[in-house]
Parts: sequence; structure tokens; C-alpha cells
Amino acid sequence: MAKKRASDFTLLLSTILLVFIGIIMVFSSSWPDALYKMKNGYHFLKKQLIAGFLGLIVLVFFMNFNYKKLDKLSLFIFIASLLSGMLIFTPLGVEFNGAKRWVKLPGFTFMPSDLIKIGSVIYLSSFLSKKKDDVRKLGKGVIPSLIIIGISCGMIYAQKDLSTSFTLGVTLVSIMFIAGMKLNHLGALIAMGGVGVYKAISGEGFRAKRFLAFKDPFADKVGFGWQAVQSLYALGSGGLFGLGLGKSRQKFFYIPEPYNDFIFSIIGEELGFLGSLTVIMLFLLIIWRGIKIALNTEDLFGCLLASGITALITIQSLIHIAVVTSSVPTTGIPLPLVSYGGTSLILYMGSIGILLNISRHADLDRS
Amino acid sequence: MSAPSNKTKKRLVVIFFAVSFIVFLLILRLGYLQIVKGEELKKGALEQWTKGIEIKPKRGVIYDRNGKKLAMSVSSYTVWSSPADIDKPKETAKVVAEILKMDEKEVYEKITKNQRVEKLKQWITKEEAVELRKANLPGIEIIDDNKRYYPYGSFASHMIGFTDIDNNGLYGIEKVYDKYLNGTPGKWIKTTDAKGRQLPYGSEKLYEAEDGLSVVLTMDETIQHFAEKAALESLIKNNAKNVSVIVMEPKTGDILAMATKPDYDPNNPREPVDEGIKNQWKDLSQDELQKRWYDMWRNFPINDAYEPGSTFKIITSAAGLEENVTTPDTNFYCGGHIKGIPGANIKCWRWYNPHGSQTFTEGVQNSCNAVFVDVGRKLGNEKMLKYIKAFGFGENTGIDLTGEQGGIVPSDPKNIKEANLATMSYGHGIAVTPIQLVTAVSTIANGGELMKPRIVKELIDEEGKVVQSFKPEAKRRVISEETSKTLLEILESVVSEGTGKKAYVPGYKIGGKTGTAQKVIDGRYAPGKYIASFVAVAPANDPKIAVLVVVDEPSGGSYYGGTTAAPVASEVIEETLKYLDIEPQYTEKEKEEFVKKVTVPDVRNKNIAVAGKTLTELGFKYNTELPNINEDTIVIDQFPLPGTKVNEGSIIDLYFNKKGKELNINIMPDLTGKKREEVVKILDDLKLKYNFNGNGLVINQKPKAGSEIDENITVEVEFSDIKE
Repeated sequence: MAKKRASDFTLLLSTILLVFIGIIMVFSSSWPDALYKMKNGYHFLKKQLIAGFLGLIVLVFFMNFNYKKLDKLSLFIFIASLLSGMLIFTPLGVEFNGAKRWVKLPGFTFMPSDLIKIGSVIYLSSFLSKKKDDVRKLGKGVIPSLIIIGISCGMIYAQKDLSTSFTLGVTLVSIMFIAGMKLNHLGALIAMGGVGVYKAISGEGFRAKRFLAFKDPFADKVGFGWQAVQSLYALGSGGLFGLGLGKSRQKFFYIPEPYNDFIFSIIGEELGFLGSLTVIMLFLLIIWRGIKIALNTEDLFGCLLASGITALITIQSLIHIAVVTSSVPTTGIPLPLVSYGGTSLILYMGSIGILLNISRHADLDRS
Repeated sequence: MSAPSNKTKKRLVVIFFAVSFIVFLLILRLGYLQIVKGEELKKGALEQWTKGIEIKPKRGVIYDRNGKKLAMSVSSYTVWSSPADIDKPKETAKVVAEILKMDEKEVYEKITKNQRVEKLKQWITKEEAVELRKANLPGIEIIDDNKRYYPYGSFASHMIGFTDIDNNGLYGIEKVYDKYLNGTPGKWIKTTDAKGRQLPYGSEKLYEAEDGLSVVLTMDETIQHFAEKAALESLIKNNAKNVSVIVMEPKTGDILAMATKPDYDPNNPREPVDEGIKNQWKDLSQDELQKRWYDMWRNFPINDAYEPGSTFKIITSAAGLEENVTTPDTNFYCGGHIKGIPGANIKCWRWYNPHGSQTFTEGVQNSCNAVFVDVGRKLGNEKMLKYIKAFGFGENTGIDLTGEQGGIVPSDPKNIKEANLATMSYGHGIAVTPIQLVTAVSTIANGGELMKPRIVKELIDEEGKVVQSFKPEAKRRVISEETSKTLLEILESVVSEGTGKKAYVPGYKIGGKTGTAQKVIDGRYAPGKYIASFVAVAPANDPKIAVLVVVDEPSGGSYYGGTTAAPVASEVIEETLKYLDIEPQYTEKEKEEFVKKVTVPDVRNKNIAVAGKTLTELGFKYNTELPNINEDTIVIDQFPLPGTKVNEGSIIDLYFNKKGKELNINIMPDLTGKKREEVVKILDDLKLKYNFNGNGLVINQKPKAGSEIDENITVEVEFSDIKE
């Protein structure tokens, strides 16, 4: 086995920078909510800082934890993550803002969907790396993979979280695609997925209305178009240079929970086009380094895992930005590494840690 | 362990490029939104962030012609609440209700309304405002406001009018000049969050309100005071329903004074000034109250037409002289009854003792109906109506006040029957408003031009700069200067020789004419209800003022214009001419009499026997109005007042107890031996202040019984200490 090398510095730096920007923006955008609802302006900042610190520990741990051991633990991790998801349906499940997506344990609350995301990525990567060429076969590779995808996505969909289960589904299919699945299989799968998404949208009244509002958000400015319009107002008033850090007006209850699914609007408003462009470029850097690591890993599991983690971050961040810029219908999805949310931040930092560990085994050109 | 295939690597590269392309598209979209569409979106955002609060402009002042403030805006405070900012509504309601003396439940309802702002109470006192500010309640705001204030109370109220609670003019000048007085409201723009709370930063913009312009009236506060005083005196003396006095400057048509009594206080326009009426109104329904209010606010000289009676003979005279159907020396004959008019039995007012042969001038002096019927018939329908219309009757004068009436005159000469022509000649069968009559008489006084009555001289801004001035406006020439001069001379003789003697003011030449007409109610002459009037021009040789006095329904004895209205006019004319610094020019005869002037003695508080004796010894005659008097009746007031210089042999009017309550002088009653409650009642009835000492029965009092007191004194009463 190759000797240990230094991990990818660009990836580490981009991640740290994004988390840093995230903490500042969570603080800024959560201030009005924290002040009026929690009576403490620093409420969200404090929690995010703690999560960031814990995330850093987890990142450093996985950076030094041989990812190959994950291969062996993959089934255990997958089952554990699914079990945590089950907890939602026990009395431990916590409802917040009308959605039951959290589990409260003594001392902390976490979001099982984040665990299921990373757990299923690890497990599918492991599964496909063992099957190798079977991925091209329907019965031996594709069907079992789809069962894994179905279980994990179904678990999240059961929490009425369509956007997250969609994100995860696309991520997992991307892993299959990279592993070498047949294009006609992929085509059929995409077609089926399209039908599924259509059914999910038309089945729930609010989703259909959101979709309609997407076409012209200003037509229903105070109803379903509200969030989209408010997000556009935020970006528009930011202009090229932004209103200045902390000076967002839209965060004052015009945009609901601006530190979460619409944090990118507030970044656009306070830091302007230049600020939001910087954040996009940092994500692009992470994507680039992630794919580079996957390319240069001589181990299929490492390659698929790196691809999967990168895909997860890529898809979620692109959807978030697309929603905020009203390029796709409004749906609630946080920006990885930046938005408020402890479980999410810790697990994404952990995933970056895994990526960094893979990079130590890869043959990278490091400047 | 297996290695990734080449296909895997290829697909990774493809994915990277695909993702990069999507990122590129998103960057383009972001740039489009933030830079290209930025301004447009920002406008929408700004719109939802900003909220405007209207700032009320300060209403302009109403000045008299010399710059005295008659209506002004004073600072006041209004309490507003913004329910979104109140976090403890229960406690807040309690505190607010306590300070503002409001109902707690009502306050609670208001501060929990789903409204951005809600008015809690308008015009709170300064003390309340200070206390409320001290309480420092979030969401409760005190805004500086303006309240209309009329420093002279009921003074000239019919002319000035009043405003509603939001400072909109409702009556009088306040209404007609509302758009000038009002100004332009300003705006306070502030940025708020989605719930209407002010943002911690962000731009606040203040667009100052533009204050209203001030109105300068042609009215002279001093002359108005003379008019109001005279009107009030006459109202009480004649026990009349209504007394109006108008003083006009003939050359310009300026209204120098326009008084109507009774009146109301524009500071509180829905409450009668008189306590007795206030009590009567207590149990009235809203509908009835409203009717009373409108009656109270009526500006009689403009809003009501009446039958002018003999004052209208001036108009007939002017027409007759102008058309040469008569000269001052033309002979007329009065046989008591006027014959030859079909369908009418017309008499001279002195039919029982006909005037006989007389010149035209004498006819005017005697106010002989026969003379005017002759003149009218000589003029004929067409010419008569032409002059009536030319003098402005039957049309609005155009004075800038609310609700002007045009009066009633025949619309076409063909409609005038012979009997109509005859009665119209002496002022019956037509209706005119007082303002029309005084304007018509001013036309005669100023040389023949009909003026538009001017009530507002100019509009000025806060610095006193004139923004707009209203020039006197002549409507048309009605008669020649010669006719004007001739007629003034005749009118002067009415006062010096004829029925208008009571308007005589020594040193001044006054031209005038009396008038008495029975009131027309619902198309019939109402028995016992008269309108007495007197119109005058002074000085007759160079007219400076035209005065009209109208006494509506006098019931104090006489109802003749010569005895009820003329003295009022005389008083106003004398005071006004002296105030205007017009030097009296005494004739030789007057000078002679002037030397023989005697000072009126003080006979008040004496019994009639003593008073009578005193007056007779000094060569005065005296007049008592009460038929049932005995030797012990006490004189409580007299006119003229003591110290006035009058001609030897003048008549002194004496007033007795019966009317004493209207005059504030009294005799101290004897309280000795009375109980405390009795004393309180007696002194309260006399509206006196008092100091008590001890209990039981009165043993001593100061002032002594029978001494003369006025209402400003404090009575000291000493009681025995015996308890009952």
C-alpha cells in the first residue's frame, strides 16, 4: 500500500472558508429571528459555532481514519442510519414548523435524514465496488442498487421531505452512473424518476401550487409566490456590491428562516453579486477537487465514495442556488456547509474529512 | 480491491464538465438578477420596506384687518398605538387607560387590533402627554398635533365658522377658505420589517408638511366688538329672537363688522353658550339636536331673507330720483287711504291722522306709504324691477360665506300686479337678505356703484408676505353720483327731522331709514311678530360706513324700527366714527346745545320717588317701562349711564328689579338670622362668592344689607356658634 501523503490542501481550505462564511452569515441572517423569537440575538450563532467546532473534530478524525475501514463497516453504518430514521416515528421524534424530521436524544437533537444520506452513499459505493461489472447487469447490479436507493430515499420521503429524497436519489444514481451502468438503464431510470416526481408534485396540493407559482412568482406575490419574490428582492437589492455585511432588510421577516433554505439570498443581499459569486466559486473548487480525487484514486470503493460525497454536495448546493434564483420551483433545501443546522454541518464536514483521507491515498499533483 | 475502469474516469470528467456548465448558467442567472434586473427588484423591495406616516400641516391663522388673531392652531397631542410593537397588551392597556381616563377594555381592544397603527385618543393635555411619555410604553406613540383654537370664543363666530376634529373647515370662512388654510400634508417615510416594526437602521425620510396660508379679513375687531356689544344689548333689551348688525365700508364693500346674536362658541360649536339652553338640550334626541345646531349656526344676515319694509323705500327713492319721476321738492298728498288700486286696500301707516300735503323729502322723513306708492306707480313695473335687480336684490351678493340666499323678487315685470307694485314700493311683498340691503345702501353711499361685499382682504404666508390679495370689486353702476348725493341729503333729514331721530349722533351727519315689517311665516303674516330694522350711512356728507341693524321679533314693548333698531345703530355709528378718527363737526345749533349739556346723575339703587325727584330737579325727563311700580321700587340701572353728558331735557330710561338679573349689579340682601343652607341658596342665586365663619344662624355680614354690590365681591358671613 502506498505510503501516507498529505491531504488535499485546496479542498481543506475551501471547506474551512465556506464554513467560516457560513457561520458569519448564519449569525447575520438569524439575528432578527433570534432576537424576537428567542430573545437572544446570538442563539443561532452559538449553536452553529458549537456545531462548527464539533464538525472540525469530526473532519480531522475522518481525515486520519483510513476510509477503507468504512468499506467493511458500510453495512453496519447503513443499517444504523436507517434505524436512526425509524426513531422519528417513536416518541423521540420531534416536530418543528409542521414537519417531523428531528430526533431528540438527551442533550441534543439531530436530523436522521443527514445520517441516511451519508450512510447510503457509503453503502452503495461499497456494494457497487464489490460487484464491479455486475452494475451493467439488470438483475445482479441495477435491481439490488435500486432497492438500496428505494429504501433510503423512501425513508426520507416518509418524512415528507421530497427535496432531500430527490437530492439523495440523484446522488445515488450518479454513483451508479460513474460505476458504469448502462445508458439505456439510466434512461429508463430517469424516465421513471420523472414520472415519480410528477406524481409526488401533483399528489400534494401545496407542491403543485408552488410549481405554478414558479412560472410567475409576482402573480401570487403574497401567497405561494411570496418566498420566491422575497428572495429575488433580496438578490436585486444586493446589486453588485451588496448592502454590506449585516445590513440585509429582507431577513427581517420578509424571508422566513433566512438562515436556512434561503441563506444564499441573504448572502446576495449583503455581499452582492461579488459575494455570492465567491461562494459559488468555493463550491466549484470543492467539486473540482472532489472529482479530481475520485479520478486519481486507484481504488474503486475510494473512487465511488469520493464521487458520491462530491455528488451529494454538488447536487444539494446547485438546487439551493437554483431555488434562490428562482431557476427551479421553490423547495426547502439548505446550502451544504453554510446553512444553519448542526447535524448537517457536522456530517458534511465529516464527509469532507473522508474525502481528504481518500486524497491521501490518491496520486494528486499538489502544488 | 478493484481499480476504477476507464469508463468510470471518462464519466467523471463528463460529469465535471456538465456540472461546470450548470454552475456557469447559474452564475449568469445570478448576474442577470443582481446586476441587470437589480434596480427594478430593488424598487419593489423598497416599496415593501417603506411606510409613510402623514404629517399634518399647520392650519393657517384667521386675522382681522389689523392683524389680530381670531382663529389659530395650537399644539396638541394625539396618542397612537402600533399593536405589533406591544408585547404586554394587558398591562399596557391598564396604564394607558389610567393616564388618559379611558375605559380599559376599550384601550385593550384598540391596542390588540390587527392594524399597523390605531388612534387611541386625540388632543390629550400636556400633562397627560408628559405622564404617558414617562411611562415609556413600547408601541404607544404620542404625536404632536394641532388643535383649532378661537381665542375670543363666540366672537364673530358666524363669520369665522369652525372646523371638525380633523381640522377641516365646516362653516364660515373656515369652510370657504379651507383649501388655503389647510396646507399640504407632509410624509414621514420609514423602513419597517415585514410586521410593520421600524428597522434598527435604514433611511428615514421626512417630507415637511407645507403649512396653510393665513386669511386676513376685512373685518375690524374693534368695530366688530361695537357691533356685538350693541347687538347683545338690543337682544336683551328688546327680548328679541335675533339681532344682527352689519357695518360695511361703502367705497370698497368691505365688511367691517357682521354680528349676530345669539351666537355660539366655535371652540365648542355643539354646545350652546347659554346655560339655560344647555339644560333644555340635555334630553333632546340626536335628530332634534342636529336641527338646533343648524339653527344656532345660521348666519342670519346671509342665510335668511326677510321682508324689508320701509328701509326698502330708499331703493324706490333712488329709482324715482334717477328716473326723474320725482325731485326732493315734488309735492305729494297723503289722505290716509290709497285709492284706485284694484284688489287691495292700502293705507298709510298713519291712516288715522293722514300726512296731508308734503314734499317728497318730507314724505321720506315721515316714511309715508302714499308717497312711495305714487313714485312706484310713476316708475311702472319694468323700471321698478330694473332698479330692484340693479341694486342686487334677487341675486347672491357673492360674499365668501356659506349658504347665501338670494331673496325673493318678481322674476318678470309682467308678473307684477298693480297691488304688488304698490306694496313693493314700500318694501312689502318681497324678501331680501340683510347683506343685500346693506350692499344696496352702500351703493347709494359710494356714489352709485354696486360693490361685491368683500370679507377677505388677502392671504398671507407664515412670514406675513401677501400671497394673494383680493381687490374691491365693483359689479355695476346703478345710479348717478348726483342722485346719490341728493338721496343722502334726504336720508340725513330723516335722522335729523324724521322717523330716524333716535339714531341721531351729535356732530355727525347721519343718513338713515327705519323699517318695520310683520314677519311672514309659512306664507302668511304672523300676528305680533315683527322685524324692526334701521339702515344708516355716516357721515352723510362723506360716507365712511353703512350700518344695518335688524331686530328679529322684538318683544320688549316697542317693535318699531325707529325705537328698537335706530338706537343700536346710533351707538355703533358713534363708537365706530370716533374709533375711525372722524372728527365731529357740530352745527351752530349743536354747539349751542352742547354748552347746555348736563351730566346724568347716578340714580341707581334709589327708589323711584327719590330718583324721579332728582331727575326732575335737573331738568331731565325719565322713562319707566314697567306700568306697575310703586314708590319703593328700586332703580337698578339707567341709560345713559351716570357721568354721560346729554342735552338738557333728555329722557333717561330707568330699569327696575325685574330686569336686574341681566345686569350685574345688585343690592346686598339682609342675611341676619338665616340658616346656613338658606344663606348658601341666596348667595348662589346672586352668583356671589362667600366666606363662612362659624355655625348656626347669621349674626353678622359684610357688606351690610342694602349696600350696592357687584358680582366680584366676596361676602363674609359670621354665624352664631349655636348648633341646632
